[in-house]
Amino acid sequence: MTTPSATPTRLNLREWLKTITFYEIFVGMKATLMHLLQYKPVTLQYPHEKRTLPDNYRGMLALLRYDDGTEKCVGCDLCEAACPSRVIRVVSAEVPGEPTKRYSKEYYMDMTRCLFCGMCVDACPVDALGMTREFEWAVYDKRQLHLNKQQLLAIGDRSFPVREKRLEFQHPNTAFFNVAFKHVPPKPD
Amino acid sequence: MTELGLRVAITLTQISVIVGIVIITVLLLTLAERKVLGWMQDRMGPMEVGPYGSLQPFADAIKLFFKEDIVPAGANKFLFTAAPLLALIPAFIGFAVIPWGPDLTWEFGGLSIKPFVISDINIGILYILAFASLGAYGIILGGWASNSKYSLLGGLRSAAQIISYELNVGLAIVGVLILSGSLSLVHITNAQAGGFWNWNAFAFPAPQIFALVVYVISTVAETNRVPFDLPEAESELVAGFFTEYSGLRFAFFYLAEYANMVLVSCVASAMFLGGWNAPYPGTLLSLIGLPSLAWIENTMWFAFKTYSFLFLFFWLRATLPRLRYDQLMRFGWKVLLPIALANIVVTSIAVFIAQQLK
Repeated sequence: MTTPSATPTRLNLREWLKTITFYEIFVGMKATLMHLLQYKPVTLQYPHEKRTLPDNYRGMLALLRYDDGTEKCVGCDLCEAACPSRVIRVVSAEVPGEPTKRYSKEYYMDMTRCLFCGMCVDACPVDALGMTREFEWAVYDKRQLHLNKQQLLAIGDRSFPVREKRLEFQHPNTAFFNVAFKHVPPKPD
Repeated sequence: MTELGLRVAITLTQISVIVGIVIITVLLLTLAERKVLGWMQDRMGPMEVGPYGSLQPFADAIKLFFKEDIVPAGANKFLFTAAPLLALIPAFIGFAVIPWGPDLTWEFGGLSIKPFVISDINIGILYILAFASLGAYGIILGGWASNSKYSLLGGLRSAAQIISYELNVGLAIVGVLILSGSLSLVHITNAQAGGFWNWNAFAFPAPQIFALVVYVISTVAETNRVPFDLPEAESELVAGFFTEYSGLRFAFFYLAEYANMVLVSCVASAMFLGGWNAPYPGTLLSLIGLPSLAWIENTMWFAFKTYSFLFLFFWLRATLPRLRYDQLMRFGWKVLLPIALANIVVTSIAVFIAQQLK
C-alpha cells in the first residue's frame, strides 16, 4: 500500500515564512476590512422596504367573481382533485331554481397545508381561482388560516378589482376552451 | 478626620467616574461589535431602536433587567448566584491601577491627588494578573453550579484554556518588566515618554513586538473571544458556561466579558504602546501654549490605543473561524510559550549588554 501524500516534502521556505507571519490570517483580515470600507449591505429592511415580487409570484389563493358580482365557481371539485396536499374542500350544490347549474355551497381552504403550487388554479375550468400577491399571512392562531368561502371571496375582491364578464357574454371560443384566441375578433357587446 | 473623609470622598469619586466610563464603554462596545461585525459581513447590524440602531444597548439592558431570573432545579444556589459576581468584580477591580492620563499631582483642599489613576501601587501589573486569574473562578463555578452538561463542559474548557494562556500573558509581560525595571503601570508608562520609538513595542535595546503579538493572541484566548471562544461555542455548547443563566445574572457575565476586553486592551496599550504618551515627543497642546490642558490630548491617545485594540478584537471575530480544542492547546503550549520564553532570554541579554556598554 502506498499512501499518496506520504512522500516527504522539502522544507519550503516560502510556505514556512507564510506560516510564521500568519500570512493567510492577514489575507482574511484584509477581505473583511475591504468589506467594511466598501460597505454595501445586502440587507432589505423588510417591514419598511419590500422587494419587488416577480410577475408570476404565487401568493395567497382567492376565489373570484364576475363583473356583475356573481361567483365564478361552478362547484366542479376539480381543484379539490388537483390539490396535492388536500387543502381544498368543496361542497357542491344545485343553484336553487336552476337545476342545470351548480355552485359551491361551501368552500374551505386549510392554508396551513398549502404549498402554493398553483395546481388548483391550473385545474379550474372557469378561472374561478386566482393567486394573489399577498404573502403576509402570519397569524397568532393556526385556526385563522382555515378559510371559508366568504373569506376567500373577500381576498379575491381586494386583490382583483378588475373582473371578467360572465362566460356567456364572452367569445364562444374563450367560453368553451377557457383560452382566448387572438386571431379571432372578440364578440361585440 | 476631615482629611481622611475628603480622601475617601475623592477616591470614591474617582472610582465612580472610572466605573461609569467603563460601563458606558461596554454599552458602546455591545453596539459597536454588532455594527462592525455586520458591516464586515455586508449586513447592517441593529437598525430598529433609535436612529440607525443607536439605542440598542439600552433596549438590551432594559430587556435583561426585566427578564425572569431562573435558577435551574438541582443547581447549587449559592454558587450559582456568586459566580456572576466572581466574574464581574475581578474584571472591574483591575481598572484601579490603570493610568488613564499623565502622572500629574493636583492640589485639592490641602491634599495632593493623582487624578488619572485611582491607586498607584508598585505591583500594579501583578495585581491585574492576580485578579484576572480570580475571574476564571467565576466562569468555572458558573459552569459547575448550573447542573447542566453544556455549562460544565464550557467551564472545564474555560479552565484549561485560561490556565494555558494566562501563562503566556505573564511571560509576554516579563520582557516589558525587564526593560522598565518596575511592576507599577504608572512607572512603566512614564518610562515610555518621548515618541513612539520609546514605546516598549519598539524600544531600544529589545523591541517587544513579538511579546505584543503573543500578548494580544493570549488575551483574545483569555477573554474567551473568537477564534478562541471554545468555552461558549454556540454551535457545540449552546452558550457554554452561561447556558443556564438569564436576566440580570446573564447580564453580569456579559458585562464581565466586555469589561475584561477593555481591561486587557488598556493593559496592552499601557505596557506596549506607551499608554497615554503621544507617538511624538511632548504634546501638541503644550506646544501651542496650553500645557495645563495637555492631559486631554494624552487621555485621547490612551483612548485611541485602547479602542484600536478593541477594534482588533471585533476584526478577528469577523474573520476567523473557531479553533479545534487540540489546535488551541497546541498553539498555546508549542508556539506561543516558546516565543514568549525566547523573548525573555533575548530581552535579558540585550538589556544586560546595553547596560554594560553604557
